Amino acid sequence: MAGLELLSDQGYRLDGRKATELRKVQARTSVFAQADGSAYLEQGNTKALAVVYGPHETRGSRSKSLHDRAVINCQFSMATFSTAERKRRPHGDRKSSEMSLHLKQTFEAAVLTELYPRSQIDIYVKILQADGGNYSACVNAATLALVDAGIPMRDYVCACTAGFVEDTPLADLCHAEESGGGTSLALALLPRSGNIALLQMDARLHQDHLDALIEAAMTACKGLSKVLDDVVRQHLEEVSVLTRD
Amino acid sequence: MAAGFKTAEPLEYHRSFLKENCRPDGRELGEFRPTTLNTSSISTADGSALVKIGNTTVICGIKAELTVPPSDAPNRGYIVPNVDLPPLCSSKFRPGPPGEQAQAASQFIADVIESSDLINMEELCIEKSKLCWVLYCDIMCLDYDGNLLDACIIVLLAALKNAQLPEVTINKETDLAEADIQKKKPLKIHRHPVGSSFAVFDDSVILVDPTAEEESLSTALLTVVTDEEDRLCAVHKPGGTSLSGEKLQHCINRAITRNKEIRKLVDKVTESTKTAK
Repeated sequence: MAGLELLSDQGYRLDGRKATELRKVQARTSVFAQADGSAYLEQGNTKALAVVYGPHETRGSRSKSLHDRAVINCQFSMATFSTAERKRRPHGDRKSSEMSLHLKQTFEAAVLTELYPRSQIDIYVKILQADGGNYSACVNAATLALVDAGIPMRDYVCACTAGFVEDTPLADLCHAEESGGGTSLALALLPRSGNIALLQMDARLHQDHLDALIEAAMTACKGLSKVLDDVVRQHLEEVSVLTRD
Repeated sequence: MAAGFKTAEPLEYHRSFLKENCRPDGRELGEFRPTTLNTSSISTADGSALVKIGNTTVICGIKAELTVPPSDAPNRGYIVPNVDLPPLCSSKFRPGPPGEQAQAASQFIADVIESSDLINMEELCIEKSKLCWVLYCDIMCLDYDGNLLDACIIVLLAALKNAQLPEVTINKETDLAEADIQKKKPLKIHRHPVGSSFAVFDDSVILVDPTAEEESLSTALLTVVTDEEDRLCAVHKPGGTSLSGEKLQHCINRAITRNKEIRKLVDKVTESTKTAK
């Protein structure tokens, strides 16, 4: 595989992790004052920012609003300086439009949109530094931002990628592993119910291996959900200390 | 009660504070919000910085690329600043192509770079009419609460001071550029321009460092940019009510003291990142 050994004989990966080990996740909520909800999340070297506005009146044409539920509007963008090569278009190209659509579909599965008929919820996510797993970092950051905005959801949405190298599923791929040519699967999970909100895999894989791969991704997502939950609880604790009379 | 008064009569609400020579957020008229700076925030960029002035947050990433120098100045490199106000920074901004304010800010930053002599563009040239550096300085507002221009100038200055460029030589035999990633050099920053923004309230009261709300209620805005030798680099007053020469001089004096405060901050942060390395 292009001279790069993704998994050593001892079972270690390029960055020294074990096959099922996640990268370090650090996150903070309520980072900005203007937005209704905001969060900043680092997953290894990938840094994502999510901001939520709403629910508010639908902007633009009235025809877009739905009479029985809220419209979710997502915009994904990457900072021009987020990748090794400068990006000419931070958003609006085909790849980021696809990403925006995937995010929208993911959160339509989780947000209780029927509580806010004829309104709109805006979710803006931005990748400040990209190192693989952009989709999952965005989903995790957006979940925290939605929680921060106080928008009711069925559950946290946790996303993680998983890859398949030498008959071993690897959790939470970094950029080098993603571009190494192997299989990569992105999965967004509602961890409590175990329902899958989104699953995407665009590479060839024998179907016998699929279950193992999904299982690895789901375990990773459940691990992430604990981290996200801790972030939310810690934030609430800090806020309640500050506002105590 | 106070919240209702603020929503219904924002102007009266602000006036009632100004009568007592203070502002709704507890500041005095001539006081800036706390300013914080972080550099080397983004490792994929050649130089980066993040600045917060109160709630206003801007981030700047610099990407350097090699290109052919422009034909009208074959011995100079160039800098392309770009200010982005994405819809995530405030509900004021809509998705789509850059709005007027973002474009005006980009042009203002470009003018400040040109007029302040921040960097000697000839030092960005590697070989005359063949190869030079172009520095793309992308400034992005993450949280908009007024005083965008001051924040942009500080973040640009800090990011440029943080930037490291690899050494590039042209191989005589193959005529191709060769970059030495191991040998990285910081840019030479000749001047330190710092901006100070003011808002004119009710045609007479001058506020320093206006918030987004104060900006929208004010009758005129003014931005003064000075360098470390107290020279003016730019004075920008986009319309609004007139301002007497005396008051303008007062603003310029305030801008000069602000320059010293910010220089200290930038130097301190640059120094601390150096020792951390």
